[in-house]
Amino acid sequence: MNMDRSMIWMTVAGVLNVGLVLLVAPFFQGVLRKVTARIQSRQGPPIPQPYFDLLKLLGKEDIESGESPVMQRFAVYLSLATVLTVACLLPMGFPAPMNGAGDVILLIYLLTLCGICTLLAGLAAGSTYSLVGISREMMSMITLEPQFAIAIIVGALHTHSFRLDTVLNGSVYAVDGFPFSGLIMLVVILMSFQAFVQRVPFDISEAETELMEGPLMEYSGPKLALFKYAHMAKLVIYSTLFVALFVPWGSEFAFPLGWLLFWAKVFVLVLLVTLVAATHARYRIDQAIRYFAGLVAVALVALVLASYGH
Amino acid sequence: MIAREMFEKFKQRFGPLIERADLPSDRRLFVFVDRSVVKYVCQHIFRELDARYVITIGADDRPFSGKFLVAHNFAFDKDHLLCSVLTQLPADDPKIDSITDMVPAASWAEREMRDLVGIEPVGHRYLKRLVLPDGWPENNHPLRKDVPWNEVPVEFDPDREFRFDEPPEGCTVVPFGPFHPTLDEPAHFRLYVEGEMVRGCEYRGFMVHRGIEKLAESVMSYNDIPMLAERICGICGCVHNVAYVQAVEEAAVLKPPPRAEYIRTIMLELERLHSHLLWVGLACHIVGFDTLFMQSFRIREPIMWIAEKISGNRKTYALCVIGGVRWNITPEVKIELRQTLDKLETEWRAVVSAVSKDRNIQKRTWGVGVADKDLVKESGLIGPVARAAGVDIDCRRDHPYAAYDRVEFDVITEQGGDVWSRLLVRMKEVFESIRIIRQCLDKMEVGPLQLEIKDELPIGRMGLSSVEAPRGESHHFVITGENNRPRRWRVRAPTYQNLQAVPRMIKDQQIADMTISLGSIDPCFSCTDRLETIDLRSGVTKVWSQEELLKLTRAKKV
Repeated sequence: MNMDRSMIWMTVAGVLNVGLVLLVAPFFQGVLRKVTARIQSRQGPPIPQPYFDLLKLLGKEDIESGESPVMQRFAVYLSLATVLTVACLLPMGFPAPMNGAGDVILLIYLLTLCGICTLLAGLAAGSTYSLVGISREMMSMITLEPQFAIAIIVGALHTHSFRLDTVLNGSVYAVDGFPFSGLIMLVVILMSFQAFVQRVPFDISEAETELMEGPLMEYSGPKLALFKYAHMAKLVIYSTLFVALFVPWGSEFAFPLGWLLFWAKVFVLVLLVTLVAATHARYRIDQAIRYFAGLVAVALVALVLASYGH
Repeated sequence: MIAREMFEKFKQRFGPLIERADLPSDRRLFVFVDRSVVKYVCQHIFRELDARYVITIGADDRPFSGKFLVAHNFAFDKDHLLCSVLTQLPADDPKIDSITDMVPAASWAEREMRDLVGIEPVGHRYLKRLVLPDGWPENNHPLRKDVPWNEVPVEFDPDREFRFDEPPEGCTVVPFGPFHPTLDEPAHFRLYVEGEMVRGCEYRGFMVHRGIEKLAESVMSYNDIPMLAERICGICGCVHNVAYVQAVEEAAVLKPPPRAEYIRTIMLELERLHSHLLWVGLACHIVGFDTLFMQSFRIREPIMWIAEKISGNRKTYALCVIGGVRWNITPEVKIELRQTLDKLETEWRAVVSAVSKDRNIQKRTWGVGVADKDLVKESGLIGPVARAAGVDIDCRRDHPYAAYDRVEFDVITEQGGDVWSRLLVRMKEVFESIRIIRQCLDKMEVGPLQLEIKDELPIGRMGLSSVEAPRGESHHFVITGENNRPRRWRVRAPTYQNLQAVPRMIKDQQIADMTISLGSIDPCFSCTDRLETIDLRSGVTKVWSQEELLKLTRAKKV
């Protein structure tokens, strides 16, 4: 009886989290676009515009194109589904709803799967541009994905646990002395954060002026809407993940305050992303890889430090 | 006396094979040489005298002299001399030795001459069709005088496709165009790519060649053509407008009143301002830096407004007539123009300091798309591309026209030859343009805007004009003719030379650098030809052909 209760509660909270992400993702996108416009001396679209954009795309004809339409459709569904599954595993002002359903290893897997979906999408489209796009995506994934994985593992090492609620609660600083490894990882992740959320200067695999959106170029209508949705949701997911892992302070306050504080932190992070995107030029893939590789090396140092308890 | 000295040098070297010369002024030299020696004269001029190759012109002169005419134009920039090497070819044997072995930059010009006038460059190593549509019959050359301007040959096959060259082994082909969002104009580069590296490319352009020269030579009049000329380019139109008028004025020995010359200078510099600002914006957009793109467009806008105030138009000013200009700059506009320039200068300083400190942009542009001094010489590169490679040429100083001999300005050069240097050159030239306009406003004297021309213009005279467009030298060649229109008018826009060097600039670079390398020459192609309609009820797709579209637009009803 008790078991059933908690199962139902878990499901409801999970759905709530998913709903929340779907609800706020276009809002954050709208804020991002508005702030960008202001930096560029433009009026900018109204903040709710991304909601309308998605609705419009969803209402359009669903055209089958590209090399293998079935795989294309599958890649889109998988992309959004992965992001939303991650949403169930993250604390968003409350403890993670599906806390017991998985551990941080699952989280790392799912984050990698997000990237795989882009690869699938590009392969299914089969045009030269999308192939170049996915080769870039693949190259950057190899150097990018380890960084968040290492951050999470550092937390897991400090707390001797793989549990989501333990690790995703500022665990990177959970040492007796000065948290060297945690601070190093904070800097590393901050420096590559634009890449995780696929914004300038690291939107290399989609680079409009070079690859005409790369993997996404064969997508239109509802499929494009879902991809864009997944893209927007990624910004929210990674921001919450970052806040949970690195900026946990204040989450222990009672409901309205702690919850509001959490989202305020996420909001600030989105503004930071916007600011960086608006003031940088795009890197070339080799420059980006060299940059990421340097960060991975630093992250490995942090991992060694963490295993010695610093 | 430099023109005469040069002519004496030729005579000493080649003797009687130099037939005659025309020296209308000390800054122009037209030498007529025998067909057998033209190759060596060009070699002598290009290699030993170190002149810059400008363009090759083919003309059908049969109705007048019974012969074909070929002119190879060169510029001695340090000596302020433009030189044209002319050869007459018999009507039944229009063949001439190709000069491409000595002057590689002549490749396109000779191919174009073969397509349009039917003069065969013997010994050219790559005689693929350049300008004419793929389905155009082999023996029809539109620029010959016996071909009507509106003729479409019966053998014309609009469906014939272009045959591309085979890519080298181990390379995949990445099509860049025919339409690419970065260029917004039709041009097709087939990149041969190995991984992310570009190993070579084939260019297919001229997709919307409009036949402007033919139109001018057969139906328009001297004073209509300036309006047509400025429609050659979507950004630097005024350059062609002025260059054409100057070429005609030179041929007819007319000197426009000083005030007109100052106004021409001001409009040309205004055009350079808005063109350079546009380019810096686009370059930033290409490397993904949209904020600077937006800011430089914001700063550019007041220039468009002031141009509209002067000429009634943001662009396409319809400025010149033969012997003068059509618009005055009133005292009120003068005050406003000064204010606009002051504001522009402050704002542009901010942009320049932001860009020059930006490590991010430097990373994307340092050592990218390099054109060194060698390539500049071989391909006849001009404008900011040449100046960024440390080649100190600028027609405003070297071949002064309008009022440029009465103003002071610096020619900006850099040494890197890469995209970054081109960026610096263009950014700094904005300040020089501001300086020039201010001086013109100070010095401009009161007086008439146009010359009174009472007589008909003389026939069969030649005129050359080089105008420094924002993208480089824009060169016009005119032979005056009957019926109040030129016999031959040849336009060489700056992109014509600069584009030929792009394949060498992008070789062994990453695909990501392709767009910014191509963008850095500030290319200028032209626009649109096909459209597709779908009947929703039956789902039938119909592709409209060019002819149907033309018919549709001319009939003005659907």
